[in-house]
Amino acid sequence: MRNTTRLLDVLDRAETGPIVEELQWDMQLVPNAVMSLLAQHNIKMPAVGDAIVTTDDALADRLFDAGLALAEQLGAYCVSTSRRIQFTREEIRAALAVAPVEVTIGEGNDRATERKRCVEDCRPPFIKGGGVGTPLPEDLYLAVTQSYAQEPLVDAVINCTLSHVYGRELRSRTPWEVLAAWHEVEMSKAACQRAGRPGLALGCVENAVSEIGELSGTSHGGFSTQDWHHIAMISEFKTDYMALSKLAHLVRTGSVIHAFYNTIYGGSCGGRDGMALAIVSGCILLQMLYMTNTHSVSPAHPFYDNDTTPEILQAISLAQQSLARNSRLMTDVVITPVGGPGTKTLLYECAAMAITAAASGATGLIGPRSAAGVNVAHVSGLEARFTAEVARAASGISRADADGIVRRLVELYKPDLDKRPKGQPFGEVYDVVTVKPRPAWLETYEQVKGELRQMGLPLA
Amino acid sequence: MELPESSLAEMQTRLRGAIEVLDEAGAVDLAREALASGLSPLEFFQGVIEPVLTAIGDAFSRLEVFLPDLMRAGVIVKAMQGQVLEPAIRQAGGSSTTEGAVVIGTAQGDIHDIGKNMVALMLQVNGFRVTDLGTNVATQAILDAARRENADIIALSSLLTTSLPFVKDVLARLDAAGERSRFMVVAGGAPVTVEWSVAAGLDGFAEDAVEAVAMCRGLMARRRGVAA
Repeated sequence: MRNTTRLLDVLDRAETGPIVEELQWDMQLVPNAVMSLLAQHNIKMPAVGDAIVTTDDALADRLFDAGLALAEQLGAYCVSTSRRIQFTREEIRAALAVAPVEVTIGEGNDRATERKRCVEDCRPPFIKGGGVGTPLPEDLYLAVTQSYAQEPLVDAVINCTLSHVYGRELRSRTPWEVLAAWHEVEMSKAACQRAGRPGLALGCVENAVSEIGELSGTSHGGFSTQDWHHIAMISEFKTDYMALSKLAHLVRTGSVIHAFYNTIYGGSCGGRDGMALAIVSGCILLQMLYMTNTHSVSPAHPFYDNDTTPEILQAISLAQQSLARNSRLMTDVVITPVGGPGTKTLLYECAAMAITAAASGATGLIGPRSAAGVNVAHVSGLEARFTAEVARAASGISRADADGIVRRLVELYKPDLDKRPKGQPFGEVYDVVTVKPRPAWLETYEQVKGELRQMGLPLA
Repeated sequence: MELPESSLAEMQTRLRGAIEVLDEAGAVDLAREALASGLSPLEFFQGVIEPVLTAIGDAFSRLEVFLPDLMRAGVIVKAMQGQVLEPAIRQAGGSSTTEGAVVIGTAQGDIHDIGKNMVALMLQVNGFRVTDLGTNVATQAILDAARRENADIIALSSLLTTSLPFVKDVLARLDAAGERSRFMVVAGGAPVTVEWSVAAGLDGFAEDAVEAVAMCRGLMARRRGVAA
């Protein structure tokens, strides 16, 4: 349950908690606590070659216990005050006991309800389609956003960012950020209107690197409280006054809050086991800090910037099962492939994550953030359609069956990971006037769907 | 002085053990014993520290070891250099064992730090003297630190396109101060591409921590070549 009392508690603790140097947090407290709890709770994931979509329920449950313990032991770190924000086990349990299990976002006929799912759930994950912060030129923003909004299986849109505003370079936490936030408001709303879905919920404010973008974009005439608003927890388990200022604004405006935490594979939490533990504990801490409606994770590979390597897929699978089996938290997965539009690699990666997430009990899928989200305009709505179709087909299949297909997919795209095939920009895979995919991109999409059917996925 | 390979191998084993359990005192003792046995600081660095750190760096590039392992190695090497090797070199009037001095930070407007931390640690374990300024570092603070530390390289991290203009600000400020040739400026992070780095006028760019070490070594070799 969200309220000012909990908000004030967080803000108070950010100013009264124990003082710790950031270096000590990064170098000692986090790695030591993670290593110690992995050992105490006997968290040892199977070899990636044995299973990517895991089936060990006892391991998933132990992981949740370890995640609770880590959230209690560590808490979060406020970089702005150099203090720890800590919570007792009782406070954590009380907050988790009342965490929302559904949220309705958007307005009018376009309202949609995201609901908590369980492992091997027959109900499909909620689909939030979009480029997740991928930079777009101003002249393409409307068409690209429309390409997602017009997809019938997309339940909500997640916005891209702008590479420029009024032709000028954007700078964080300057007046340019304010102007970019307003461009995002105007163009994403216009795109939904053009798609005939004016009330579709928008994931925002994507141009709000700092609090000023959020505060201006979520004000009179801007994004609605029924859009879904983002706050980040910095890796690992850190927040700051920029994020907490966004929080204060969103709590007082009664906005839907979506918080995310992207742990780094090979970072302070270590390898696969530590990454899975960080995901579980991170989602718990997002709920404690930000009183979130929904949460998302997208662990980042240190060399490819993606989250589709088999090690990360496996950690996501186990962590999602752990959260689905043991908590009310609604947890989404952001798909961050290396492949970009026009490539089979992108579609194989999206399919692998969609199947993994659907079978593992993830509440929703966000993205895809094609070409790792760093190549200007290398995104398109067709990959969101594809992801939604695969996720629907994978809902209800067993984890063992999911694992078989995912492993075949990984074999297909793994050799391409270090090549990072970014594919083609939007204007080459879509007609930007009609906002329709070009024949070559559609043909590739149909080919990969055919391959998935041959692998046994019951795609319509 | 030439020590038998077996002695060097034994020292490498001891150093690996000290890194594994973060035994700073043990590592410092090892360095002292090595110098007492007749090895020069440079011989100890090249014969013992460098092979161990190279192996750790290689293992990290294959993700067989992780950031905490790099952190431990960084702490140990810094202790040995600061407490034993550098004082011995100064006493003998010799030159430093460091590969070069790097001032590193995440550009203004960006609070991401893990990638930057990985690069800082990889540089440190590979023999660079690294001053880490943290995240969201103002341009003025970067310039002040580079001058104070007499840096060879200014390394900037940017995970956001909205921080890239602040990277260019560093170059513009150095140009304006007539100091562009004094510092080599490099950058990395998801939106930093080779095309962008060339257009911005950077001296180098790397896609990840492993590449960053090779790039900085190359720049230092070039600088030493020019100086020679």
